[in-house]
Amino acid sequence: MIRNQLIWRLGAFAALVALITVLFAMQNSAYVSEGNIRALMRHMSVQGLAALGLTFVIVVRHFDLSFPGVASLGAMTLGWLIAIGMPLWVAVTGGLAMGFAFGLVNGIAVARLGLPDIVTTIATGGLAIGFSYFYSNGTSISQNFFMSGLLDLNDSKIIGLDMPFAILIGTALIACLLLHASRFGAGFYATGQNRLSARFAGVPTTTLIILAFALCATLASLSITLLVASSGAANVTAGNQLLMPAFAAVYLGAALFGRPSVGATLSGTLLMSMMLNGFTLLAIPYYYSDAIVSTVLITAIAIFDPRISAALRRLWPSQRQAA
Amino acid sequence: MSDVTTLHPARRSAPARQAPNGGELLMRYGFFILVILVFAGFTFLRPTFIAPGNIHGMLLSSSIAALMFLGLTWIIATGEIDVSFMSVAALSNMFTAWLVQAGYGWEAASLGGLGTGVLFGLLNAALVAGLRLPALVITIATGALAASLAAALGKGTSISLASTGFVGDLLAARIGVLPLIAVFVGLLYALCWFVQEKLTFGHYIYAMEQNRAAVVEAGVPVNRMLFMLYVLSGVVSALAGVLLAGNLSSGQPYLGTSYFLDGLTAVLLGGMALKLGKPNVIGTLTAVIFLIGLLNGAALLGWTDSERQIVRGSLLLVGVGLVVVARTRRRSAAHT
Amino acid sequence: MAEGTGTGTRAGAEAGEILSMSGIEKRFGDVKALENVGFDLRHGEIHALLGVNGAGKSTLIKILSGVYAKDGGVIEIGGESYDLGSPRAAIEAGVAVVQQHPELVGDLSGAENIFLGSEAPRPGLFARVNRRDIAARAAQLLSRFPIEIDLSRKVADMPAVEREIVAILHALRLENTRILILDEPTSTLTEREKASLFAMMAMLKARGIAIIYITHRLEEVYEIADRFTVFRGGRNVACHTVAEARARDISIPNLMLDSKTGLTFPPRSDRADGEIVLETRGLGVEGLFQDVSFQARKGEILGIFGLVGSGVDELSKALFGAIRPDRGQIVLKGRETRFTSPAQALKAGVFLVPGDRRTEGLTLDENVVFNTVLANLSRASAGGLLRFGANRRAATELAQKVDLYPLKPDRNLRGFSGGNQQKVVIARGLYREADVYIFVEPTVGVDIGARSRIYALMREISKDKAVIVISSDCDEVHGVADRTLALYRGRPIGAPMRGEDRDRLLHAGIMGSETGGKAA
Repeated sequence: MIRNQLIWRLGAFAALVALITVLFAMQNSAYVSEGNIRALMRHMSVQGLAALGLTFVIVVRHFDLSFPGVASLGAMTLGWLIAIGMPLWVAVTGGLAMGFAFGLVNGIAVARLGLPDIVTTIATGGLAIGFSYFYSNGTSISQNFFMSGLLDLNDSKIIGLDMPFAILIGTALIACLLLHASRFGAGFYATGQNRLSARFAGVPTTTLIILAFALCATLASLSITLLVASSGAANVTAGNQLLMPAFAAVYLGAALFGRPSVGATLSGTLLMSMMLNGFTLLAIPYYYSDAIVSTVLITAIAIFDPRISAALRRLWPSQRQAA
Repeated sequence: MSDVTTLHPARRSAPARQAPNGGELLMRYGFFILVILVFAGFTFLRPTFIAPGNIHGMLLSSSIAALMFLGLTWIIATGEIDVSFMSVAALSNMFTAWLVQAGYGWEAASLGGLGTGVLFGLLNAALVAGLRLPALVITIATGALAASLAAALGKGTSISLASTGFVGDLLAARIGVLPLIAVFVGLLYALCWFVQEKLTFGHYIYAMEQNRAAVVEAGVPVNRMLFMLYVLSGVVSALAGVLLAGNLSSGQPYLGTSYFLDGLTAVLLGGMALKLGKPNVIGTLTAVIFLIGLLNGAALLGWTDSERQIVRGSLLLVGVGLVVVARTRRRSAAHT
Repeated sequence: MAEGTGTGTRAGAEAGEILSMSGIEKRFGDVKALENVGFDLRHGEIHALLGVNGAGKSTLIKILSGVYAKDGGVIEIGGESYDLGSPRAAIEAGVAVVQQHPELVGDLSGAENIFLGSEAPRPGLFARVNRRDIAARAAQLLSRFPIEIDLSRKVADMPAVEREIVAILHALRLENTRILILDEPTSTLTEREKASLFAMMAMLKARGIAIIYITHRLEEVYEIADRFTVFRGGRNVACHTVAEARARDISIPNLMLDSKTGLTFPPRSDRADGEIVLETRGLGVEGLFQDVSFQARKGEILGIFGLVGSGVDELSKALFGAIRPDRGQIVLKGRETRFTSPAQALKAGVFLVPGDRRTEGLTLDENVVFNTVLANLSRASAGGLLRFGANRRAATELAQKVDLYPLKPDRNLRGFSGGNQQKVVIARGLYREADVYIFVEPTVGVDIGARSRIYALMREISKDKAVIVISSDCDEVHGVADRTLALYRGRPIGAPMRGEDRDRLLHAGIMGSETGGKAA
């Protein structure tokens, strides 16, 4: 029964992918060209990493609004470390560590001190943006970028895959192992569904919530690293563009597959990126992208909502049998 | 058994918490003292802080910001959230500018800008209060939609305007150092204070935050209240957007970002004033003046952007912390 | 249909009747919660509703207050027939309920809470809140009763009894209230507070308001009630006046006891000298329970009987590290221990089958395998990764062992009946391989067949582990345990005994007396 449901959901996802592909390819055949698919995968890599991190926080039923700000701080830290001549690996580690530290602060504030997650993460996000101004008083950093090898993170290839996409796949595999195959994964889901019963089963709920926030912030920093590598400069607003697509990908995926998971988030990201890429190809200006994403997000939440999906099922009784 | 017992008034060791003690008084009014001290400090360090021109400027920006955060104050007071207010203001601002540029008069353009606020207010209200969808994610999405449309109106850049019409005249009107608009906003806040303190609407806002089940059981139309609050937030944000079009004599698609943190900070920090951690209109008004004065004074002192940003973020964190501390104190009192 | 409603029910056409319910039926899935139930209430009487947990009294109250829709039967209030499809309809019919934990707004004053939702003469969102007027109306309402409380205080600062009174006055704010339902109002009150509450009830009664009074404390029935109805297994089995019960020496505890047709308890253990695994010495938590000392041995089941609010639930949580005791010791396998979290208790070998399995026990949106292995993830994984195949096999095996029905390890817990959900919690305990198993209210909401199986499992586990069963069902404790102890208002009555007489145990737990009937 469960298996049938999964097949049905995968089918719906495949149908959506096919539909979007056909619609855009009809408008512009370049949509299915190799170059465009590569561009799509690059785009997906940046968005997907941030969305993967957010998935953990959503699984433990919390919210994080700080990751765009934290990502900006990570970007500026990375840029500054490169600009002062640090080797690439130090700079990248530095950026990620900064994200990790902010994630820990979020997690401790929410899980241990019991602060409300929404406002607290808005505040820490604001604080992170404040710190990101420190390095250059707000101007963008790009010194030494060419020499440092940072750009190779974007340009090089590994077993035929573009580096950013390879990083996404690698991270997704690790996240998948952690969330769906490791002993901690069961704890994440148990914590999210019923924190008290998870605690009574010996699950370290507080630690897992802190870990979720830490992963979210770290992956947002990793995502921004790729973005900096592709744009060739770090600036204090870099993270802003992560917020909407990440939330949209997680919720869209959860709507499609019934619950948030690594696979669901990747599917959500793929659908979002396919749409955005397609619209770009049709020469629809960039500033419409958030309008598209948010419309999709609102629709996805409405469908995700059990009462509304129940009402939809009542409207189309045949689907109930299929599900 | 039928004999009559009366309760002894001084039973149990529950301390008489009738008269507020010194600490509570300090918490209630401490914020006002802090504002006065900080402003006095700025005046001492940079006398231009209280130059008429500077005061006028600060009051003008405070009025517009306070208008924008009015609905937000009550929404947060009920325990809900709206993170779309600043983007709605930006959309209203851009739409007004776009209409003016397209040759409509300022009157029609202002109405148009206001209309976008009504529209987004209704959209939020329908989704959050009507369908009971999660407020945070919904307002993130509607906010992004508004911001995106705002950017699209100017094709990604701002729209500058040659004239500022009646909105400009309204903003320029002043009584001494006092901008006329500040008087209007002041009156509006006084009216809202009345609604909040004297009418059932305000009474239920705070009751709802504490125990929504009790309010629902008592037959109060809680969802209708939330619906009205989200519409209100959309309308006042749009109004602020229209005023900003006149004030900046342009439409700025990205003006929302700077108001986002300030709005939440003002509401939460202002909650400490008078009502011990509960957002309220007088508190918000005071906190807005405080924030604007602080940023203005800091600029006079030559602080960097970075430092000012950090002060903003820290103030919000302090606000969150204070609200939580005040709430846990109340809650623990309720559970003894 | 109204005929044959049980042994002692009176035909309900007497004069002065305000409420008459007959032939009431309610079913939840396969379980019959109420079966052909009749109940009647007279003007100005206090009518106690008695029965063990799950006997059906709360279901009846929920039907009367419009929370549940009845599946069959007739409700007449004041001679008119009512359907009571919603809480609003019940309020309009004059039925008001004061819940066990009433919903109040802590920061509002007593007077404001009483008139919450009807502050102004004309209700609306923009009506003037005249706090002086509210205070005056509240004072007027209060003046009808011989009680003095300060209604200008915040409810959060009020002691429990005053909050209870505020809740009752809130229910009475509407002039048309004819029937008042009080759900265990005394569970958090002291003796003095109880006296003032009873005084208020007497006044209400004098004004002609009929009160349905739900309680677990039988002595209160004699103190305040005029009549009582006893529920057992979803039926009303007896209804007497208190005077009649006194005159004829009717034993209410015996009426409440469920003969549990078809229920079999496993044979007792014949070992009395198993190794002591868990011992408590003078264990206590301020305000919850005191001086609890017992020894749990391998090879036998220790039973602790106590009503809701007697401290037994908190005791189980203190043993499991979820509440920190502030007095006494817990000695596990000869070593004194202090658990700071359930995780530590589990690691040390204590497993709790919690009393509220929906909020404390299970992850309902996950499947049987997930829930079985959750409490022992290190056993369920190798090198940090879950062993899916092995876990599924182990969970299936355990599911077979506990007789899970249907035997579908991939089904979400929501899809199982209460009894089978409980079996999954037990399977989780078996997978955990603990040394001490604590079962709290193991059979609440569990059907007869599953009960026998759960008791048999407890006996089986007790062969080489210590088992403690904590319950508010005296028959269960008496039937399954080898040694028993009763807790009354946080204090143990007597010492754990072997072969304790059922009636003595019952009286100890319900009345607080060590020997049947006599006061302690």
